[in-house]
Amino acid sequence: MQKFANPHVFVKLATAILPYVWALTAILFVIGLYGALVTSPPDYQQGETVRIIYVHVPASWLALMIYSLMAVFSAVALIFRHPLADAAAKSAAPIGAVFCFLALFTGSVWGKPMWGTWWVWDARLTSMFVLMLLYLGYIAIWRAIDDPHRAASIAAIVALVGAINVPIVKYSVDWWNTLHQPASVFRMSGSTIDKSMLWPLLVMALAYTMLFVALHLVALRGEVFLRKIRNRRLAEVRNK
Amino acid sequence: MDWSAPHAGFVMAAYAASAIGIFGLIIWLVRRDINARKQDQRLG
Repeated sequence: MQKFANPHVFVKLATAILPYVWALTAILFVIGLYGALVTSPPDYQQGETVRIIYVHVPASWLALMIYSLMAVFSAVALIFRHPLADAAAKSAAPIGAVFCFLALFTGSVWGKPMWGTWWVWDARLTSMFVLMLLYLGYIAIWRAIDDPHRAASIAAIVALVGAINVPIVKYSVDWWNTLHQPASVFRMSGSTIDKSMLWPLLVMALAYTMLFVALHLVALRGEVFLRKIRNRRLAEVRNK
Repeated sequence: MDWSAPHAGFVMAAYAASAIGIFGLIIWLVRRDINARKQDQRLG
């Protein structure tokens, strides 16, 4: 594992596997969108609006998963001082922020026709909004502090402290009385969604996950090159 | 999908926003990666 996390080995590995990851992502999106927009039926209560779920739910899952991953990368960076760990957390943040924004936006667009309002300050929506602020705060730290080592340490602490919000988002619908519906896919008693709607949702979730893998590899490879350039320039200045 | 159904515009808005967000992210990250690689090669 240590060997693959070497920046040079990582760049080679990422370059080799990226075409396959992009291809798999594209295939999954074609199948998922076909299921979401063509084969799945309209809901008996929500009508065609139910199709928003196929882009809203995967974006929400990804927003939570990416923040959890950032916390794990940050812990590895703080404990083991691993050269790729803080770069991995830093590269994941803008991707997570976009998915979080899409989750909030598509949720709002679904809420207007279904709830009669674009937004309510219920526990799920508010905790998701806090997640968005955590993403923005994390990105702001990296941008505001010039010294990358200091920025990495502070950002890692923010990511770890902010991770407390992840279970709050997940269980907000069980702990509090919310307008947002409770979990309907991953439940102990099984999914409450009909199979005709469940498979496009799961394929779309897989497509979003593969998209994240592809985007993260690209972002991390770019970050490795940028750090290499920075180190080379610093060395040049020191030698003058 | 019946695009003339009530609230179809909301579905369209959700999918359009998702497409814009995803393609925007792809373009930004790929361009950043290509520019960094080119700069790295230029510096030798």
